[in-house]
Amino acid sequence: MLFSSITFLFMFLPVVLAVYYIAPYKIKNIVLLLASLFFYAWGEPVYVILMVLSIVFNYFCGRDICSYADDERRARLSMAFAVVVNLLILGFFKYYGFLLDTVNAVFPVNISYRELPLPVGISFYTFQALSYILDIYRKKAEPQKNILYFALYISMFPQLIAGPIIRYTDIEGQLRRRKISASKIGQGAMLFITGLAKKAVLANTAGAVFEGISENPVGSLSALTAWIGAFSYAFQIYYDFSGYSDMALGLGKMFGFEFQKNFDYPYISKSVTEFWRRWHISLSSWFREYVYIPLGGSRCSVSRNIFNLMVVWTLTGMWHGAAWNFIAWGFYYGVILVLEKYVWGASLDEMPPVVRHIYAGIIVLVGWVFFFSPSLGYSLRYLLAMIGGGAGLADAHGVFLLYTHWLLYLLAAAGASPLGNRLIHRIIRLFRGRTLRTVAASAVYMGIFLMAVAFLVTDTFNPFLYFRF
Amino acid sequence: MRETKISYDRVMKYVALAAIIAFVVLLMLFMSGSSRPFDEVRADVGESLAASGLEEQDSAAFRRNFGLNAADYAGVAYYSAESTISASEVLLIRIKSDDQIREITDAIDKRIESRKNDFGDYLPEQAGLLENAKQSVRGAYVFYAVSPDADAYLEAFNSSL
Repeated sequence: MLFSSITFLFMFLPVVLAVYYIAPYKIKNIVLLLASLFFYAWGEPVYVILMVLSIVFNYFCGRDICSYADDERRARLSMAFAVVVNLLILGFFKYYGFLLDTVNAVFPVNISYRELPLPVGISFYTFQALSYILDIYRKKAEPQKNILYFALYISMFPQLIAGPIIRYTDIEGQLRRRKISASKIGQGAMLFITGLAKKAVLANTAGAVFEGISENPVGSLSALTAWIGAFSYAFQIYYDFSGYSDMALGLGKMFGFEFQKNFDYPYISKSVTEFWRRWHISLSSWFREYVYIPLGGSRCSVSRNIFNLMVVWTLTGMWHGAAWNFIAWGFYYGVILVLEKYVWGASLDEMPPVVRHIYAGIIVLVGWVFFFSPSLGYSLRYLLAMIGGGAGLADAHGVFLLYTHWLLYLLAAAGASPLGNRLIHRIIRLFRGRTLRTVAASAVYMGIFLMAVAFLVTDTFNPFLYFRF
Repeated sequence: MRETKISYDRVMKYVALAAIIAFVVLLMLFMSGSSRPFDEVRADVGESLAASGLEEQDSAAFRRNFGLNAADYAGVAYYSAESTISASEVLLIRIKSDDQIREITDAIDKRIESRKNDFGDYLPEQAGLLENAKQSVRGAYVFYAVSPDADAYLEAFNSSL
């Protein structure tokens, strides 16, 4: 079930919220757990069994690790066993086909194999389970006694499908006790509506432009059209994913939870390092905490630090998908971040902000080309088109797209900076008095909600891009 | 007492792991698709339809009847009866990405509903075939058949994977 579907908005969510608020405090977690399992089973009626088995496995692994409190070696073995099993499950569903395709491509063999669809959200819930296992091993968290609470941590529907990746230590206390208030519900609703509009209005519209461009042979694209395609994809993926994250955070608030934000206006960054502090924050911090720092982080020799960075970023690329273009995308960012840290970072800091914005923007756009391309060869041909190696510098198609979509890009650019949010709040603050402002805020957000719904009912099926990861 | 509890947790984690392995084996046996190329699967399914009287249709007919664009998928083979009073049709699609499964199954459900309305009460045997339509999602392959021989076509599809 999609957050941006009419079924979710007008049936599932109202019913779940009503039952959740009416239910006595003691059974609220159970209500939310049942709703989450139903939500997942709606789209994945078979794979819900895999998720439940994964929950049971990790629950008992956590308790087993804790039982070796006095025996470090056995605790480490137990932790390693849990980590390896989780990675094998993820690897089997996500990388098994890719591995055999690679073997078929490299060696003169033709191994046909059984394919299984990727269980939606498996990358996200596996990483959450790993954070639980590792935090217990590192004694940063106690194992959850109540399996239902642990099941809720893994399967909570607001963030189950596409994150943010919640670390167990961040939510442990909230699973036991959390505050549900009218103001939190209101804030949650505003966040949810913001995310819905990002997805339905901006992401889907920018996505339609990108789809239109990418349907053409890449050699027939002018530089102008190729750049418009790259910008459109950049806006699509930002509004799609940050929209989902806003909806997840908003829903979390409505159920009394506080999740860490996942995006912080990444496109206003002045360096690539800054970009990754602002983009998919929960994934970056997961890799920093559980891979980069255990590898030695930056408290080591330069060569070792470069190795650590490259490992982390290649893994980040692989996490996004089983394809060489994702690995190239991760490797590309690894190289850029190493260069920023050891070669041109200091010089970059001395440049005027506008130059730094342009620098970061170009690097990120080139990164998205690797990301959206179906193959490495395609991405190189697309990059060539961006410098005029396709159908010249500009053509009527590109000019037409600019002429017909300038408002979209204007709105998308404003919304990708704090300006858009500031503008909405300035409109609300035009009204004096608390009551008037509340009425104004309700009217503004209701208007945004209705506009988003209008886009949704006329749109075709448009799943979130990050569902495939 | 504590030792018993610890053992229980350890045993349970292995039980859960065994259940996961069993589940994956069952998935591979009964739900998995195949990396076989589309043309090979299409040839096998086409062979099973040889005596059916169903004709392979072009992408325009596919778009008209299912509202989907054949170019969006790795492969589409659509067969239907020439006669307008027959509900029989067979569809085989290989998707490009997992997120396409939902749009296809939704389109098939819509198609079934629309055909039921078309045939309504005046051709109840055709409406009955639609009630018994066979749908199967196996990995990257989606299969749909409406026919008195739909079971045999489904079997041919499963065997071809």
